[in-house]
Amino acid sequence: MFDIYKEMWTRRDMIRSLSLQEIKREYAGTLFGFAWGLINPLMRIAVFWFVFSIGARAGGPVNGAPYFAWLAIGMVAWFLLNDGFRLTQKSFRSKRSIIKNTPFPIAILPAVQILYSYYIHLILLFVMYIVMAVALGTVSVYNVQILYYDFAAVMLLLGIGSVTAPLVAVSKDFGRFLDTILVFLFWMTPIFWSADNLGVLEKIVKINPFHYVVQGYRDSFFYEVGFWEQPLYTLYFWILVFILFVLGNYLHKRLKPVFLDTL
Amino acid sequence: MEVAVSVKGLTKKYSLYKDPWGPIKEVFTKKKLHKDFYALQNVSLDFPRGESIGILGKNGSGKSTLLKVITGIAEPSSGTVDVHGSIVFLDVSSGIDSELSGYDNIFMKGILLGYTKEQMLEKVDDIIEFSELGEFIEQPVKNYSAGMKSKLGFAISVNVDPDILIVDEALAVGDSLFRKKCMNKMNDFQEQGKTIIFVSHDNHAVESFCSKAAWVHQGQLITYGDSKFVGALYNDFMSGKKTIESVRAEIEYKHSIDKVVYGTNSDGFYFELNGFLNDHSDQDVHNQFELAVRDIRTGETAIKKLEAAENGFTVRLTEKEFPFFFKPGKYSFLARRYDETGTLAEFSLWSGKAVIEENNVDAIPSFNYRYASDKNALELIIENIEKVEQQVNKIWFDDKFAYIEGVAFVRGYETKTADSVSMDFHLTNLTSFKRAGYQAVISETEEITENPVYNPQGKVYNFSKFKVAIDLEELENGLYESHLTYRMNQSPHKQMTILVWASKQQEYPEESYTIDNKTVELKTSTKYLQVEKKEKTY
Repeated sequence: MFDIYKEMWTRRDMIRSLSLQEIKREYAGTLFGFAWGLINPLMRIAVFWFVFSIGARAGGPVNGAPYFAWLAIGMVAWFLLNDGFRLTQKSFRSKRSIIKNTPFPIAILPAVQILYSYYIHLILLFVMYIVMAVALGTVSVYNVQILYYDFAAVMLLLGIGSVTAPLVAVSKDFGRFLDTILVFLFWMTPIFWSADNLGVLEKIVKINPFHYVVQGYRDSFFYEVGFWEQPLYTLYFWILVFILFVLGNYLHKRLKPVFLDTL
Repeated sequence: MEVAVSVKGLTKKYSLYKDPWGPIKEVFTKKKLHKDFYALQNVSLDFPRGESIGILGKNGSGKSTLLKVITGIAEPSSGTVDVHGSIVFLDVSSGIDSELSGYDNIFMKGILLGYTKEQMLEKVDDIIEFSELGEFIEQPVKNYSAGMKSKLGFAISVNVDPDILIVDEALAVGDSLFRKKCMNKMNDFQEQGKTIIFVSHDNHAVESFCSKAAWVHQGQLITYGDSKFVGALYNDFMSGKKTIESVRAEIEYKHSIDKVVYGTNSDGFYFELNGFLNDHSDQDVHNQFELAVRDIRTGETAIKKLEAAENGFTVRLTEKEFPFFFKPGKYSFLARRYDETGTLAEFSLWSGKAVIEENNVDAIPSFNYRYASDKNALELIIENIEKVEQQVNKIWFDDKFAYIEGVAFVRGYETKTADSVSMDFHLTNLTSFKRAGYQAVISETEEITENPVYNPQGKVYNFSKFKVAIDLEELENGLYESHLTYRMNQSPHKQMTILVWASKQQEYPEESYTIDNKTVELKTSTKYLQVEKKEKTY
């Protein structure tokens, strides 16, 4: 039932090496190299802050956390989810030249892209952590929880990647569809708006597992809430991840012979 | 025999859709909307450890698919592949990322092959040295030429020390020096007892490098065995000498012509072949076959069933059974059969050890007959005993007839009276090989006798003019060639058959002649007279 995940685990060295290689590849030929992994998200945070805070004048503190900080931390979590999702769903399609020419365990490719996204995320997280600690004094024991939410995010992405990557490899249309979904998710996940006090709508917003991670980040930085304090939501999240894993394994087995031929 | 790779009953099917929605529609309708394309069909092969095995096949024959399935890049539709040992699949572009530098690519490919960074660090210097890329190794691969890329690919693949190396046409690029270096490296591999699978469409490369070879054609394994044998068969097929059915039949059977007896008796020319035709379990299968004697120039065949004999088969053909078939020319001897699907398979019977015997019974042969064995294939050669000098002087159409008038004589054979010679004219349809014969009218002319060029000795060739009338209405549509048979009615009673020579183009009608909505056209571009009759086109 979890064959591909066992494969990923036994090939973890290969996944790590390939994701490092991926970073090299991504920034090969650029002068600033790795710095782009930082500059780009920071600029985006700044733009969103400007638009919502200055432009739309909507930027009041959220439950006591300054809007800019609240937005920035949400975005840090979002970037991991966004990049991971975007890259992992087309991990087979984008590596088709390797798949078609080199015999190797291709089941690890979704994980490679997720780990790659995670490395980029770590840099941003590190910088943001320092900024928050210095500017707002957010250091607390709850910060350790970030590791848990990172783990949760990576597992969620792995589930999503395992399900979507084979489907995208079979159908290009599905890839387009997912790109559209991602834009939808971006605005539907409470990143620049708060899900509090929405009543029934809050329940609907919470169905989105991305919210669990984004909210968890903010809880760890600003609100000192542990994930164990919302056991039902945590349980829901992990059941969802479990279902995605099982489905992903099934789809990979089922579709691999198909996309090896059609890719 | 230890096996490195074992392939059993391998089939690889691709579904080809015309409609891009086909795959989706199929899920819902259960209707078959695709065409099945079999890239490989029931291929079984064992690659022994420590040998170099060539895989031959033309482009699109399925050889690359076979490799992909062996390496695991593609999954078989059915059948199994067992690989014992690590495989490196070497083709020019495999696993090379053009954005990365050559150096990074070495690691990239190493990682994909399952090596750790530390293991690759040990090998990297050897690889760089072997690749001859020097300082370019730090440049992105996108700036490399095709030759440089293949050098890099080859250098990585051979230096990671696999148990089984698969080489897919990779040596086509790269300069000759580097190719030599690669060959040396592959020879080292062989000496170390590693297995090399070498894919090519060039039989020379395979014959020189591999001990065994497999030939894949349209997804099917034609044969697998000694590389020289397979290479030669493959070459015969690729050069158009043999059809695939013939090659198949040839591989399937053991055959030989042991004895040829030929000669002339009261019925004319005859010959008798004795030999055997067995399958590989030594079962006599001659009764499935016919003998085909083929006129090599025109492709006309005379066919007769093989009869049972003491140690195989015997077959006897006579001129009487096949009138006008045995005339000057070259003939080959083939065994042929139609398989279950109705496809013709034929192959030339092996005659490397045939005993040839001439036996004339109460008759003088009208032609010179002799047999030759060309590359173990029997050939009958028939030649005229005397040379006939001839020319068509004039052709004209009138009513439903075409009239052909010309001269023919044999030097030294005097024709003083009208009955000293008779001539026949034959038209042979070049598709159906149906024949029509016309008796020629001999008349007197002094054209040859008075011509010092033709007749320096002053002999008499007065009756050398012939004229035939061809009934065009009776002639079936088709392209015909024409023969003239010159028969001496006095001693030495020889008979000659020749193609009719017609080189006086200005004396023949240029325009085609129309009769009953059909057109008749003379063709003399080869200088031999041909006549074509066809439906008139407007």
